[in-house]
Amino acid sequence: MKNLIQKTLKVREIPVFLGLLIVVLITGTANPAFFTLSGFQDITLGVAVVATLAVAQTLVIVMKHIDLSVGSTIGFSAYLIGDASSKGHGFWYCMALALGLGLVVGAVNGYLVAYLKLPSLVVTLATLYIVRGLFNEIAGGNTITEDMVPKAINFMGLNTFFGIPYLFLVAVILMLVVGFIMKRLRPARDLYAIGSNLAAAELVGIPVARRVFLAFLATGAVSGLAGAVLLARFNTAAANSGNGLELSVVAACVVGGVAIAGGIGTVYGAVIGAVLLQAITMALGALGVPQFWQLTVNGILLIAAISLDRYLSTRVKPTSIMGTN
Amino acid sequence: MKKFTFGWDHGVTIFLVLTVVLGGFISEYFATIDNLSFVIQDIAEIAIIALAMSYLIIAGEIDLSVASILSLSSATIGFLFRNGTSFEMAIVGGLIVGLLCGLLNGYLVTVIGLPSLAVTIGTLALFRGLCYALLGNEPVNELPENWIVLGYENIPGTFLPWSTIPLVILAAIAWIVLHYTRIGRWTFAIGINAEAAKFSGIPVARMKLGLFAMTGLMSGVAGVVYTLRFASASPDGAVGYELGVIAAVLFGGVSIAGGIGTLWGVLAAVFALGAIRSVLQLIDFSANALLIVSGALLLISVVVPRAIEIAQSRRKSTFVTNK
Repeated sequence: MKNLIQKTLKVREIPVFLGLLIVVLITGTANPAFFTLSGFQDITLGVAVVATLAVAQTLVIVMKHIDLSVGSTIGFSAYLIGDASSKGHGFWYCMALALGLGLVVGAVNGYLVAYLKLPSLVVTLATLYIVRGLFNEIAGGNTITEDMVPKAINFMGLNTFFGIPYLFLVAVILMLVVGFIMKRLRPARDLYAIGSNLAAAELVGIPVARRVFLAFLATGAVSGLAGAVLLARFNTAAANSGNGLELSVVAACVVGGVAIAGGIGTVYGAVIGAVLLQAITMALGALGVPQFWQLTVNGILLIAAISLDRYLSTRVKPTSIMGTN
Repeated sequence: MKKFTFGWDHGVTIFLVLTVVLGGFISEYFATIDNLSFVIQDIAEIAIIALAMSYLIIAGEIDLSVASILSLSSATIGFLFRNGTSFEMAIVGGLIVGLLCGLLNGYLVTVIGLPSLAVTIGTLALFRGLCYALLGNEPVNELPENWIVLGYENIPGTFLPWSTIPLVILAAIAWIVLHYTRIGRWTFAIGINAEAAKFSGIPVARMKLGLFAMTGLMSGVAGVVYTLRFASASPDGAVGYELGVIAAVLFGGVSIAGGIGTLWGVLAAVFALGAIRSVLQLIDFSANALLIVSGALLLISVVVPRAIEIAQSRRKSTFVTNK
């Protein structure tokens, strides 16, 4: 029995999940409207975009890298989808465009980080700027309005599958698929090895550069496709779409136990982290706390999560901005 | 006599000169005194924060919360002034808040032992949230006239805006301390190898705490400059400035891996980016072009040194160790 408790506590996702339960229970007790179906839908719909991106970001963070360009990519992609659709192109054409954009950004990030061995923080900060700049140049002052959104995407954003918003289902399916891959398939297991000990990973013969490249490519591809999720969620896209999203995504991962120091964490944790942050935002609203406290609470939560992690782990103090292990 | 070696900072300086010369050809208005005054005003906040950020990145840490600290300092000034404090004391309050924010970051990184990248993403949200908590959604616009003239007027008899004074003084201090004092050498030593620095008797934790505190204070100073420039204290000011600061510091030749950089390079980079921004505005290019240029320069600042490194290691040996 004691063994079981110890084992359970060692699962990194458990504390976050308990935190989520506590938030939901307290809020639900104080404001029963929170427990209703629409309360559930508010949270799940609200979290879809960040959860999707958090799944992709996990691939990168476990390798002790970071991808800051996702916010620009998803915004640009959402705009491209709407723009192409309004010009009469079909759904699949739009999605191919979104995927293409994501692959290009991912390939550039991946090439620079994996093969030229440049720091991912700098590279993806640069692509954040470049993609955003290109996006704004092309979008100008235009706004994608609801009637320009492809029918299928519009439908996904507005409807639910037995009460569960389609967009949340998309995030959950992505999470399950990536979660399975990261648990079972060698190439994805290698990402953990790269993040834990790069030198050792190279010595045991892991093709590090290829793995890093593919992980960035995958993250880019998901960010591109997720443009559809962003578009479905808001039914609109303009030059500032997705601005600043990268920090929410990294925050969700970190809160969910994906260590910024690399080598640790799962996509399940990342999604639970995203849901927790969203639930707290909603909870504050339901409890009548002014909306602006939400940022403060998110910040405190992020710091609390990494402090707890630090307290629980026996790792040495970090010596770099990404931490060390 | 020290042997002259061509460094990245010289490259950035040449780039700055080229930008200014080309800018003069492209737009008649660019090389005018009015425009110079405008450019200085435009870059003052980023330059002031970049001074401190250079130390922090050279020491191997980072602070993403600087724009939120800037805004919180500005919000504090607005809040105190709205509630009847004199404007002078409100400014002092804003500076103290900046210092406290920096100390909090430093405490979390050095005492609790958390990675600064994650910590300062957290405090970025935390401090921004506090801005709204202080001011709500209402900016404070009725600031005393005798102060806000400092934000838009030049120093009498010159073409320089008032923000030149803190900028020049702080830049001079930062330069001397970084390159000519023990604290500066310690900063580099910590960035090159924190462990080794510790064993050679450098108080690493205390130094880092101090650097975070200084970054907070400088962000506070930038907050004061920002408040005066826009004659307003609002909760949503300077969003995203942190990336501009970091981009300027890195383009200025400071290595994100720590241990490398010069303050001259950073200042040249800040001015070069300001000059490019001005040229693009004068020839009616959209602000988007600036985003693209900033990103491209940032990439160049890591790709070129790396390419040189690869070329040199190919010439020297066949065994290349990867970091």
